[in-house]
Amino acid sequence: MKSLKAFTFVGLLAFILIMSACSSDSGGDGDTNEEASGDQVQIEMGSWRTEDTEAYQTIIDKFNEEHPDIQIEFNPSKNTEYNTILNTALQSGEGPDIIHLRPYTPGIELADAGYLEPLDDLEGLDQYPEEYLAASKGSDGKQYGVPLNISTTQMFYNEDIFDELGLEEPQTWEEFMSVNETLKEEGYTPISLASKEAWLLSLAHGMIGPAHYGGTEFVDKITAGETDFTSEKFVNSIEAMDELKQYFPDNYEGLGMEDIRTMFFTGDAAMFPMGSWEIEVLREMNPDLNFDFFPMPSATGKEPTVTSWVDGSYAINANSENKEAAKEFLQFMTTEEFGELFTKEFKMISAIPGIESDDQLVNDLSQAADQRSTPYMILVHFAGGNPSTKETIEKELQGMYLGERTPQEVAETVQENAESWYEPLQ
Amino acid sequence: MKSAASSKSTHLKKQRNWKRWSIHLFPIPALIIYGLFIVYPLFAALTYSFFEWDGMVRGEFAGFKNFVDLFTLQPFSDLFWNAFGHNILYFVLQMIFQNGLAFILAYIIYKKVRGAEFLKISYFLPRLLSVIVVGFLWKLILNPNYGAFNVILENLGLEALQKAWLGDPDTALIAIILINSWYGLGFGVLIFLAGFQSIPKELLEAGKLDGATGLSMVRRILLPLMVPSIMIMTVLTFIQSFEAFELVYAMQGSEGGPYSSTDTLAVYFYRLAFGGSSGGSSSAIGLGSALAVVLFLFIAVFTALYLKYMQKKQVDM
Amino acid sequence: MNHTIWTKPFYYVFAFFVASISLYPILLMILSSFKTSTEIFTSPLAFPKSFTLETYRNLLEQIPFMTFFMNSVIVSGVSVALILVTSSLAAFYIARFTFQWNNMLFFFFLMGMMLPIKLGIVPLFILMKDLELLNTLWSLIFMYTATGIPLSILILTGFFRTMPRELEEAARIDGAGNLRILWNVVLPLMRPALGTVMIIQFIQSWNDFFFPLIFITDDMKKTIPVGMLSLFGEYSADWGALFAGLTLASLPMIILFFIASKQFMEGLTQGAIK
Repeated sequence: MKSLKAFTFVGLLAFILIMSACSSDSGGDGDTNEEASGDQVQIEMGSWRTEDTEAYQTIIDKFNEEHPDIQIEFNPSKNTEYNTILNTALQSGEGPDIIHLRPYTPGIELADAGYLEPLDDLEGLDQYPEEYLAASKGSDGKQYGVPLNISTTQMFYNEDIFDELGLEEPQTWEEFMSVNETLKEEGYTPISLASKEAWLLSLAHGMIGPAHYGGTEFVDKITAGETDFTSEKFVNSIEAMDELKQYFPDNYEGLGMEDIRTMFFTGDAAMFPMGSWEIEVLREMNPDLNFDFFPMPSATGKEPTVTSWVDGSYAINANSENKEAAKEFLQFMTTEEFGELFTKEFKMISAIPGIESDDQLVNDLSQAADQRSTPYMILVHFAGGNPSTKETIEKELQGMYLGERTPQEVAETVQENAESWYEPLQ
Repeated sequence: MKSAASSKSTHLKKQRNWKRWSIHLFPIPALIIYGLFIVYPLFAALTYSFFEWDGMVRGEFAGFKNFVDLFTLQPFSDLFWNAFGHNILYFVLQMIFQNGLAFILAYIIYKKVRGAEFLKISYFLPRLLSVIVVGFLWKLILNPNYGAFNVILENLGLEALQKAWLGDPDTALIAIILINSWYGLGFGVLIFLAGFQSIPKELLEAGKLDGATGLSMVRRILLPLMVPSIMIMTVLTFIQSFEAFELVYAMQGSEGGPYSSTDTLAVYFYRLAFGGSSGGSSSAIGLGSALAVVLFLFIAVFTALYLKYMQKKQVDM
Repeated sequence: MNHTIWTKPFYYVFAFFVASISLYPILLMILSSFKTSTEIFTSPLAFPKSFTLETYRNLLEQIPFMTFFMNSVIVSGVSVALILVTSSLAAFYIARFTFQWNNMLFFFFLMGMMLPIKLGIVPLFILMKDLELLNTLWSLIFMYTATGIPLSILILTGFFRTMPRELEEAARIDGAGNLRILWNVVLPLMRPALGTVMIIQFIQSWNDFFFPLIFITDDMKKTIPVGMLSLFGEYSADWGALFAGLTLASLPMIILFFIASKQFMEGLTQGAIK
């Protein structure tokens, strides 16, 4: 009897479990039915920008003024886990209706796998320059994403420190180096850059490298297969990265993004080679900080450059049940109205041409990106392969800063990796 | 009378039969849940390793090509052996710093020191934190410029030792393993303590009568009786060391940096199967699954051999 | 006998020294959460100048902390109950009966720990979708039960094996069934091991963030670690808020542990065989 009782208990437990599992399901179904019956379309929007939730809500509210029947829920996941979450859902035939695409290779990979809806018939796509559209163009030549924003990298500098020491924005590499030297002598950390987080290194190379390999001209040549990563010009760009380490903070091999940002906004460091998205963060952390930027001065007698690229596009899930409604929203994202709201709310450069910002710094950057832009070569052209050439250069640069690799070896390993998958170099 | 007696005996027989076969129902609930949510998805995913993959699209059946690539193509093979070495170091140091220490501490508590309660709780407290929190917390403590650890060294007059512990390839992995030991110590103490407390008192009394004291008592009486808990902790540490992922990921990211000095097989697997965490790389599902298979076979074979050995040892006693 | 005179104090010093290493970082975390970022940078070891709860209030305003908390309690509680029932039945079977396939069965259960479960995440996601468990707490409960079973069986089997069989034999002669022997004779003696399994599995389910990340998109179904994770990203430069976030993520577990620890630790010592 006793044993029977216990069995009944276990059975009962199982029964309760199953019952409540079912009941919670039916509850869920009921919810969706209700929503559907009210002529409302529910759209979910996935992204890695958890910090932008409020700003997106403003955008969505604006959109709803004209489209009250489309409810959009912005549902971001943590940056570092976004790819895993999204890929898992997409591979299982699920996922959000509107997808924030990583730029270039990772986003294009989703298109090539058939998870995205082609957008060629979307109005307003023709206003974007071809190189912006390239960030989300599938290998089949179809357009899969609407470019959202342009990111740039340039040297931010602390105006107060520069004024105090009578320093000017450098126009040539020599001037840049002498600025570094003066700052160091005066007891400031000249350049706030560190090597513990490898992605910072390819980012910094994307901005400092063009000064030595000669900007866009080199990029055109290497993508045509006319030069390679072991060429003198490219090796020079790596050597320059190595040379700059004397101006990095103490213990730079153990510092991360948060540390170098902190050093810059607290005024310990005078210059900060970083992306445009940090403007907002710096202002928030220290509203009194006076900072500006200068384009990277060239070592080969060219014009100074600002590195720029599309930093994200929006696409539609091929498995979405509400593609039409999702398209409405993407359509909205190509309008000038959206562009202006976006620049205002996000303090970022809109991918829509000719949008002015009310923020002076963002505006200046936007203009610089128009006039003296060079691509983030490694991200735009070399994020493929496995491990990708981008990961390879990051790891190799880290090894160089730890004294494990010479600039020549870095260049050779990068070349070897690129040869393994990049056709023009084979 | 007769019929009543026979019905009673058949009833008893039935009951005995029921008792005999009902025991086989015992593992069923565990098997169902475990089979459905662990075995099925894992084995479904293992088949990935026999296919070619183009990004996220499954291609042709590829036989053992992924396995061959893993060990013959560069940089995959270098990365594999690099990570494998780190896993071995992980296991050895965990055995010393987590399990060795836990065994000694459990013995001290077992000997009924005053404050045993306090000690038990203290050792266990780190285990209450999430690994994410542990990683974050220690990253802040070990920060070379603002962290508490280097300040403590300075206060102790040991400025010469100050360094970027997590940024230096020579110290990063050891730091992570020690943090892992800090985290797991309390669990080891509990398991060993449960082991000590399960030892029948009579055996200890008998040992004492035989004149065993102190260390010889530990060696002759306690150690053999502690075999089950030692076995549990060894198997567990072995598996966990070769599956080491979360803490490395939380502290150094999916690259296992700096310069692959903290890369482990599970982190390497994650990078292959899901692409890097920074969002700038693509995945190699076939290679990743092949790596998981190799890792699995390695752990399974060694665990099986160890269990077999321990069982023999137990029987011999 | 001489050695005890000097070993005893040595034991004490050693045991309490290790305890202080265990406790100090946690203490540092809690103390730092009351500081401003500048205070942390300039004097990381000092006591906070003033105890302000402002940071905590700010954090709590941003997230439905109570909802996360309740979800965590439900998920961890139900998982642990399921783990204890299923694992002790299975471990009893494996340890106490000598069927030929028992070692195989034991090893079969262990195999679940030898593969990174992340490998199977796509088939798992499809399974959850088919069972209509996505975005429910049940997806988490079943995952934690399933992932907890191997470790629990490893621990419980080990301890079941150490128990003398005589007690069982006596009960068996009295005509007790297997379930009754397990429930009335074996389990009461196993309290240290059961307590360990219970607490360790509770913590494991409480602290996991991978499965909710993948299976749960609805904010109201999230558990504490996942809910707090988004805050870490947002406050990455504000160390005061960061430490407060870390403390907030850990405190419920620490408090629960202290409430339960008396029960738990008593269980540990009383279970010992006399």
